Amino acid sequence: MVRAPMPGQSEPSTTGRGVIAALVIAVALILQVSVANRLPLPGDVTPDLVLLAVVALALVNGSLTGVVAGFCAGLAADIIPPADHTLGRYALVYCLIGYVCGMAAAELDRQTFVPFMAVAVGALAGTVLYALTGMLLADPRAAWEVAARIVPLQVFYDVLASPFVVWAVLRVTRRYERPDRGRDRFAVPAAARYRAMSGRGGGL
Amino acid sequence: MKDTRRTRWVLGVLLAVALTMITVDYRGGQRSPLAGLRALGAAVFGPVERASASVVRPVGNTVDAITDAPGERRRADRLERENQRLREQLRAGRLDASRYEQLHRLLGSAGIGGYKIVAAQVISAGQGFEETVTIDVGSRDGVRRDMTVMSADGLVGRVTRVGPATSTVLLATDVTSSVGARLEDSREIGIVQGRGRRGLSAGDDAPLKFQMLNANAPLRPGQRLVTLGSQGERPYVPGVPIGTVERIDKPEGGLTRTAYVRPFVRFSSLDVVAVVVAPPKTDPRDAVLPPKPKPTPTPTPTSTSTATPFATRGGTPGGTPTPLASPGADPTDAESTPGRRGGEEPSRRPGVDPSATTTSEG
Repeated sequence: MVRAPMPGQSEPSTTGRGVIAALVIAVALILQVSVANRLPLPGDVTPDLVLLAVVALALVNGSLTGVVAGFCAGLAADIIPPADHTLGRYALVYCLIGYVCGMAAAELDRQTFVPFMAVAVGALAGTVLYALTGMLLADPRAAWEVAARIVPLQVFYDVLASPFVVWAVLRVTRRYERPDRGRDRFAVPAAARYRAMSGRGGGL
Repeated sequence: MKDTRRTRWVLGVLLAVALTMITVDYRGGQRSPLAGLRALGAAVFGPVERASASVVRPVGNTVDAITDAPGERRRADRLERENQRLREQLRAGRLDASRYEQLHRLLGSAGIGGYKIVAAQVISAGQGFEETVTIDVGSRDGVRRDMTVMSADGLVGRVTRVGPATSTVLLATDVTSSVGARLEDSREIGIVQGRGRRGLSAGDDAPLKFQMLNANAPLRPGQRLVTLGSQGERPYVPGVPIGTVERIDKPEGGLTRTAYVRPFVRFSSLDVVAVVVAPPKTDPRDAVLPPKPKPTPTPTPTSTSTATPFATRGGTPGGTPTPLASPGADPTDAESTPGRRGGEEPSRRPGVDPSATTTSEG
């Protein structure tokens, strides 16, 4: 069964999907910096909504969208005002996460727990990779003892927040795709399957 | 198959771009050629953040109120009692000398220190490992790089990046932040470094670390710290309260002694802050510190006493930032508004005589 879109077939919806992805990322970014990061949560760690949005987009649309969306989201996260780290770190990390999660969506879609695993693994890998890039660049903020106490909490919050973000992304994607169901052979089945899996997975 | 190859190709290209950017930006440091990208980010996202902050502020306030409900209740009670007491005192006689002193303490930290400030509001916060916030004033309001940012309670951080309408503040709790500090009532100096607020265990409310340069000088929990002031008053102006020594590292005999410091400012719920656009004419020494707590050395009750007047002076929540004139600039007003005393006459401040403090220790 071929799920990956042939370049020619997916062409009509590419622009629309790109716009949706850009919107999702922009909203996630703004919510991240002006709401999530200011929540006085225990431990002062906040869920990474942008990472979750990238994971969700990659799970719905596949690797290629995941890679591009991850890169753009990361670059935006690198330059959005309070950011104060070396430019390109989030771009690198989210790009990789988008790729990996896109692959996971393509390869393991029959398993019920894939979305949750993907989100958890994506959150863990994203946080750890980001910390690693910091260590490579000798960023004192990503020193081992600081990273060690942040990463577990961060992953925990990410997994907690993931159902909401993934649900929101799915909703937005579905709403857009309903009109041109006939044209887009790829995204609708994937989204629907994903939704069904999420529904069943909730009972686990 | 075709698509996978294409995806991999895109992935490779984008990873290469990201790595190049990291390299260029890292090598470039402060004069990075990619600074233009950041400026673009500030220009594009700054206004959006300002707009979204005005929308989401009520949400944040609600969450804040819920999570801190017991604290707010206590604070409300305390303020009510304090208010009552002040009202009685006011009725008793405005120009009475003892009350003069009370009001003087209560009127804004900025007024006491003689700092010229621009009030601002926090509109967003950084993610990941960095502890940074964006405030809604920028180069248009006279904010420049490396200016001190304080709140009514004490030191918040310094400005690291300035956009047209927003600027980025590096919080004092960030790991990369280090501030020259001085112990209250003494000449003992050291460096206050951030430990990173994120992920600290619930009981650990000391996200700052103080390294005292003189390992043999007396240091005990409860002592308070103010900024020492940087050379040329940038990035840190002198005399801004930082926090209270919470506990001291056991091992002695090193070149420095380390203490953990609880800041006066609640960094998790920053709202109204002030950028010091002009330093005081003279070092305010310990004058900006809240009055010494009487019963036990817990700094919580003292921190709010300065919060009230400051908020009414500089903080108009949601309003436009108003540059406040230096309090010392208007000496004719000094009788009616007792707190408006500039930094020009530090020796007249009761109990805080800088020359006396200096000589007593030496």
